[in-house]
Order: sequence, then C-alpha cells, then structure tokens
Amino acid sequence: MSETVTRFGSYAEEVGTKLTPLRKNESIVEIPQDKLKALISHLVNDLHVRHLMTITGLDLGQNLAITYHFSMEQDTIHVRTFVPKTEPVALSIVDIVPGAILYEMELHDMFGIEFVGNPWKDRKLLLPEEWPDDLPPPLLKSSKADQIRKRLGLEAAKK
Amino acid sequence: MTETPDQQRKEASAGLMEYSAESLVPFGPIHPALKEPEYFKLVLEGERIVNVIPRIGYVHRGLEKAAESRPWVQNMYMFERTCGICSFVHSVCYGQAVEELTMFQTPRRAKYIRTIILEMERIHSHLLWVGLMGHWAGFDTLFMWVWNDREVVLDLVEAISGNRVHKSMNAFCGVRRDMPENMEDRIVERMKFLTDRARYYREIIDTEETMLKRTENIGRVSADTVEKLCAVGPMARYVGLRRDVRLNDPYAAYDEIPLDIVTRNEGDVHGLLRLRLDELIASANVVSYAVKNLPDGPIRVKIPPIIPAGEHSSHCEAPRGEIFYYAKSSGGRTPERIKSRQPTMANLPTALEMLKGQTLADIPVVLTAIDPCFGCMDRMSFYDTETNRKWTWSGEELRQFGINYYFPERKKKQGSLAESVRQKASHVERAFAEEP
Repeated sequence: MSETVTRFGSYAEEVGTKLTPLRKNESIVEIPQDKLKALISHLVNDLHVRHLMTITGLDLGQNLAITYHFSMEQDTIHVRTFVPKTEPVALSIVDIVPGAILYEMELHDMFGIEFVGNPWKDRKLLLPEEWPDDLPPPLLKSSKADQIRKRLGLEAAKK
Repeated sequence: MTETPDQQRKEASAGLMEYSAESLVPFGPIHPALKEPEYFKLVLEGERIVNVIPRIGYVHRGLEKAAESRPWVQNMYMFERTCGICSFVHSVCYGQAVEELTMFQTPRRAKYIRTIILEMERIHSHLLWVGLMGHWAGFDTLFMWVWNDREVVLDLVEAISGNRVHKSMNAFCGVRRDMPENMEDRIVERMKFLTDRARYYREIIDTEETMLKRTENIGRVSADTVEKLCAVGPMARYVGLRRDVRLNDPYAAYDEIPLDIVTRNEGDVHGLLRLRLDELIASANVVSYAVKNLPDGPIRVKIPPIIPAGEHSSHCEAPRGEIFYYAKSSGGRTPERIKSRQPTMANLPTALEMLKGQTLADIPVVLTAIDPCFGCMDRMSFYDTETNRKWTWSGEELRQFGINYYFPERKKKQGSLAESVRQKASHVERAFAEEP
C-alpha cells in the first residue's frame, strides 16, 4: 500500500468512515452522499489521484450503490456511495473530475439516477430516444429483457 | 446535391465572413447498412467547430444485462465478442476479475501464451489503424501496404489459436490451446520483418507531404486537459503521460518481460502516428522475448463452475487503452453484476476536445486518431441556420472534401471519383427508400 493510500485512509477516518483493504493494492471506502464530494475533492486535488476509471451502478434491492473506481499507478481505490431507489438523486462530480460526464450519463440511462450538476443530465446517451418512461431502467433487477423487447416492438426481430 | 464540395467550401467560407452566427451540423445519423453508427451534433461557426455533443449507443447490445443470466464461463466468450479487433484482451480482463474471486492461480506458461496473443493483437490493431489513417488522409498506398503486412501477424495468430479475430482461446486460470511446436523461429523472424516495416512506415510519415499536411498540428490538446478528462492508452501517452496498465499494474507475464513504454510530447495527430508505430516495435520485441523464454508446465487449471461470493475489479491495457471489468458474485452459477468499460468511452471526451477549433475538413482525421471503435464517417447532413440551406454528404464525400481542401491540385481527378461514389450512394439510398 503506497503512501498516498495511507494518507487517504487517515483522511477517511477524519470524516467518519473507514478505508477497507479488499486485497493487495485494492481498497474500498463507503461514504454517505453529503460527504462524497469533499472526499473525492481531497483525493483528486490534494492527493493527485486524478484518473477515474469508471463509475459502476449496483442494484442492492432497497438502495442503489454508486461506485467510483480511481486508479493511481498500482493502487485502485473504490469510493462507494448509496442512494435510495425510491428517490435516485446523486450529486455530480463533473466539477471535480470533468472526465466523469459520460459515465454519469450512462448511469442515468441504465439505472435512472439523476446527477445534479451534470450539464448533460437530461440527454440520453445510450438508450433509444423512444424509450418508454414507465419502463424501469434496464439494469435494475426488476427490469426483464422480455418486457423491454415487447415494449420496444422487438419481438418480431427476435423471431 | 448539385454543387461540388469545393463550391460548397467557398460558400461556407463566405458565410463565415457574412454571418458570425453558429450553425448546427448533425453528424452521422444511422443506417443498418452502414459502418458502425454514432451521432455527433456539431456546432459550427463558419467552418470552425466550436462545440460537439455526442450521442452514442446505436449498436448497444446490452451485454451487461445479458451477462446476468448466463453462466460464468459462457460470459467469457460473450465478452470476447465486445470488439472485432481487440477481442482477446476482453476475455483476459474479465477472466482476471473472476479468477481473483476463486482461489486458483494461473500457470506461468499460460500467462506467457496470453501475453504473446495480447501483443500480437496490439500489433494487428495498430497496423489496422495506421492503414485507416492513410485512407482518411488521402494516402491509399499506405493503407494497402500496411493492411498487407497485417496479414503476416494475423496468420501467426491463426496458427497459434486457430482463429484470426475471435480467438476463443482463453479460459479461467489458463488457456485452451498450447503453443504449436517449432513456431519459435518463424515468429521471431516475422516479428523482425514487422519491426523493419514499422521503421520504414515511420520514415514515410515523417517525410511524405500528404501525411505531414493532414496530421501535423491537428487535434492539439494539453496534457492537463487529457489528464482531467481521464483519457487512456495512446491518447494519454501522446501528451507525455506515462499511463499504461502494463507498467503500472502488471498482469499476465508483463512483470517478467522487459517492456518499453513509449511516450511522446508532440500532442498532435502526427505524434499519435509516431507513437503507435513505436509501440508496434516495442510489442514485436515483447513477442520475441516471450516466445524465446516460454516456460514449461501446465497451461490450465480447471475450476468449478460456481464462483464464491465477492467482488473484484480488473483492468488491462487494450490496444486503444485501458479496459475495465468489475465482477460481483453472490455465489451462484451466474454473476450478480458485470460492468465493462471500453477505452473509446474513456477517450470520447478528449476526442470532443480535440475537434474543437478544427475545421470541417479535419473531422475524419481527428476522429480516426483516437482509434474509435466506430467507423461512423458515413452520412453527414448539414444545416445552415442563416440561409436555411440543407445538404447531405456521405462519409466518402466528407473524405474527398478533406482531401480537396488540403490538396486542391488533386481536385479534378478526385472530383470525378466523388461523383461516381455519390451516384452509387444515391442508388443504394433509393433501393432502401423503395422498400415497403
């Protein structure tokens, strides 16, 4: 574990959470929404871990987890935050990491999470324009492939 | 369309003087008969691009959703189909993410065989890209030479894996086929041949007027912008960032093989050409070294079909840059969630930044420069908001426009070619329109 990760770990403890090592060179920190931006800002601006690999969404049943994967040389740091499924609104980190813009748009399409502060948050990136509003976002566990195919009129194409 | 591209260019430039207003150019709507479709909305000021808004996903196949209902092993070969050029690296990266969840280790010989295929794939992908660059810049001789040399490495890949593109050779904790016997001398000799060719191409791109004019000082971005936009692979290394997974977080056999990481400082498309040719030479050296030092031993460890619960991420260096896989298991036969991120997604914000400030004629070259996984140059429609004039160009016409813009002396010959292409295109279009 490099010095940067150790420093990040002590900062995480200051804000009331904990950096847990997953395995060699890989660790994860879980943080509530309101402290997320301060933590990422510290990671990017003070510790110069500037490479965001991607953002992953996870359906956990009651909540949705958003995981930011940062990498610096041999170390990988996952920062995980949670939003309730009933009100999927998260804060955008585009002002800290401009490269996150497309990943947030992808999560908006696939999980229906709205990122407040993303300049393109209302645009569609991956889903078709005619995607029905009442259909659940495709990567939620409640969304079924057959249902999507039926609603988009793709049944005929399958046969 | 009645006017030639050149007349249109004149009119467009005249428009720049008369109107300072911005016009919107929708770039590349879709058609199932065309190459990989993507869409960019370009905001132009005269001929200069001031803003670009992307709209991708026309060929999104929902692989992540599909993975959740398929067994772990089957997913490996499905994710290999993500890309038709750099396929093996996807199965390696997905495999690594899953292998880490089990307690099994990959044998050393299998790691070396993976490295050999991965680097051959990089050589094949870079050669393909250099050829395409020649094509879009208006230097088709280069395209034909380079693609001819590409067959050399594809033949080797076929001899080792049995397939040219989708090798289907990887397995969890190993590979499915051993290296054929007595291949060593042949591979080393072919790698030397490719190194010599790459040196020769490097000489060509440094001296040939067509390539210099089309690529030098085109698509400049600063290192700071690239770092902020989280670009990966050659797109990060061409501004001097040493961002390479093979160096930073070695996987396969890269921790044992001497590796030359190439970076350049030009920060333009010409620098990217130099960088990829230099990388090709470095890859050829890696292949030669790995073949000569191939360890003995088993090539595979068989693992049970049920993967223990847990989560893990893995990243690898594909020819286009870093790819990322995340796997979460709940201890069943199928994954709970698989996430895959491809390099073009990471490089797209940088490409949009490169396009800003360039002219219409540079679009093919700049968009090809990031080595996109979409060939999206087909069909552009233009709309001038001031004059309400609309016109449509196919990708071929856009390419001709770019060539005529830079080399007006070739105009006459090229113009007639463009005309014949246009006729062909309209014929195809009519055929589609007549269909009920």
